[in-house]
Amino acid sequence: MATSSPWLYAARRLALAVPLLLGMSVLVFGLMRLVPGDPAVVILGYKATPDGVRALREAWHLDEPLPRQYLRWIGGLARGDFGLDFRQNEPIGQMIRDRLPVTIELTLLATAGTVLIGIPLGLAGGARRRGVADRATSALGLIGVSIPDFWLGIMLILGLSLFAGLLPSGGFVPLVESPRENLLHLLLPALTLAISRAAVLGRLSRAAVLDVAQRGFVQFARAKGLGEGAILFRHILPNAAIPIVTILGLQVGYMLGGAIVVEMLFTLPGVGHMTLDAVLERNYPVVQSTVLAIGAMFMLVNLVTDILYGVIDPRVRGR
Amino acid sequence: MSRAGAPLAGIAIVLALALAAVLAPHLPLGSPTDISKDLALHAPAVGEPFGRDDLGRSLLSRVIHAYRVSLGVAVTSALLAALIGGPLGVIAGYAEGWFDQLIMRPLDILMAFPAVLLAIALMSVFGTGAVLLSIALAVVYTPVMARVTRAAVLATKVEVYVDGARALGATVPRLLASHIVPNAATPMLVQISVLMAISVLIEAALSFLGVGVRPPTPSLGLMLADGRGFMLQAPWMVIFPGLGIMLAVLGFNLVADGLRDWFDPQAGVGASRRG
Repeated sequence: MATSSPWLYAARRLALAVPLLLGMSVLVFGLMRLVPGDPAVVILGYKATPDGVRALREAWHLDEPLPRQYLRWIGGLARGDFGLDFRQNEPIGQMIRDRLPVTIELTLLATAGTVLIGIPLGLAGGARRRGVADRATSALGLIGVSIPDFWLGIMLILGLSLFAGLLPSGGFVPLVESPRENLLHLLLPALTLAISRAAVLGRLSRAAVLDVAQRGFVQFARAKGLGEGAILFRHILPNAAIPIVTILGLQVGYMLGGAIVVEMLFTLPGVGHMTLDAVLERNYPVVQSTVLAIGAMFMLVNLVTDILYGVIDPRVRGR
Repeated sequence: MSRAGAPLAGIAIVLALALAAVLAPHLPLGSPTDISKDLALHAPAVGEPFGRDDLGRSLLSRVIHAYRVSLGVAVTSALLAALIGGPLGVIAGYAEGWFDQLIMRPLDILMAFPAVLLAIALMSVFGTGAVLLSIALAVVYTPVMARVTRAAVLATKVEVYVDGARALGATVPRLLASHIVPNAATPMLVQISVLMAISVLIEAALSFLGVGVRPPTPSLGLMLADGRGFMLQAPWMVIFPGLGIMLAVLGFNLVADGLRDWFDPQAGVGASRRG
């Protein structure tokens, strides 16, 4: 089935996202109901008093049948109401909104770093297969994907902040307070994320460039006497862009939601940090809403990537 | 490294680490858990190449014992995922149509979450420990294995030799067993090695965060968490466990790359690598 219009393609992909999102919400809801014992008692822990438990059961509507509870939660989400965190007595939606800018800023910086390191690495390697640059970048890429990002972060803290004293080892200063301090605090975590992602991106762009480089139209361009630079930028790069954009989309999604370890390591008050705190405190209402919110962001970024390259490349739309 | 050299190095690394992990209690290493305050924070030396931690425990012994958890979780979770996801992928790919949808759509929901986040969410329900972590990771990986297997089956079943076998009267189980599944095996093996590499990383990350393996079990992630408090006095406490993680991941990645080259010499990199 070949859909000719990019708009139709985008609409079809968006329509498919709705059942997926509903499925994700059912999964997260069901998972949180699998917690053994009375959730109210588990959540309140040693501080559980009969009154407290009763109040929590009422606040979280735990006496209602599960489908009603689910509909109440999902109905609230649809209106932008994530429910109340009974520990801090703060709306969960507001908590997420407060922490989102940190995560987004970190993601943007890290993405810029990933592109700036990863793409040149891939091009250097892919330009001449099995040349010196190719071997060097392949080896670097392999080591890069094998280094745990949070350990890389620990090593950067050790070297650049504890020994050299160049950058702060953790914490966060909002952009509006001091742009300079803000950047200084985000530099190490962004670099930590960027180096690991760049290794993956570099390996993939190398493969994409090598794949395109052996196609007929590239050989033809070379045969008609076009310079290597023009071949690279006019023929190889545009055609190698799709896998590169795909993996970059995946990585942006990952960093928005999965950079939990790096946010914890550098004590950045982002969404990932908030999720892990909630998990460690057994604060299930918060876990439920943040996991779904992050999952949804991850899925939407992937969806946007999909739609984007459907718009770029008409062949994709048919699939 | 030569074309055959890299995968061989990978196999050598994985085998050496696995052997050391299995034999760890019988190696002349000293206890990974015995505390001796007088030896606390001793720097690496000839008899103790990785140094000692804040409780005087041998870091070399702890790193090698930690591989028991690390590799144990990696092997268990990847094989479990292959045992569940593989057959699901074969059925989905061979049947196609609504049966395919019935199997793959629910798995898409699991795939829609970032792997680390899903693993953390599962562990928040399951509790901590190596066995539970292996199960959680198997849940995260099952859709990946199913997808890879399904794609391989879809590609194979339209081959001429499969049509030929069918025309000669081969039954469906026979077609699957002798033609389709053997062709799906290589991409599955590549994916299993990639997943083992990712498992080592995720086990370390989750234990580091306090939602993976419980102390006093030696785990590379837990050791990094312990070492963070002593980074200036005893940097070896964070250097060696990290190098330990890296070596295991590198080993599995080299094996995966080697298998991939062997399977498809034209391709550079390809198997799905979930972030």
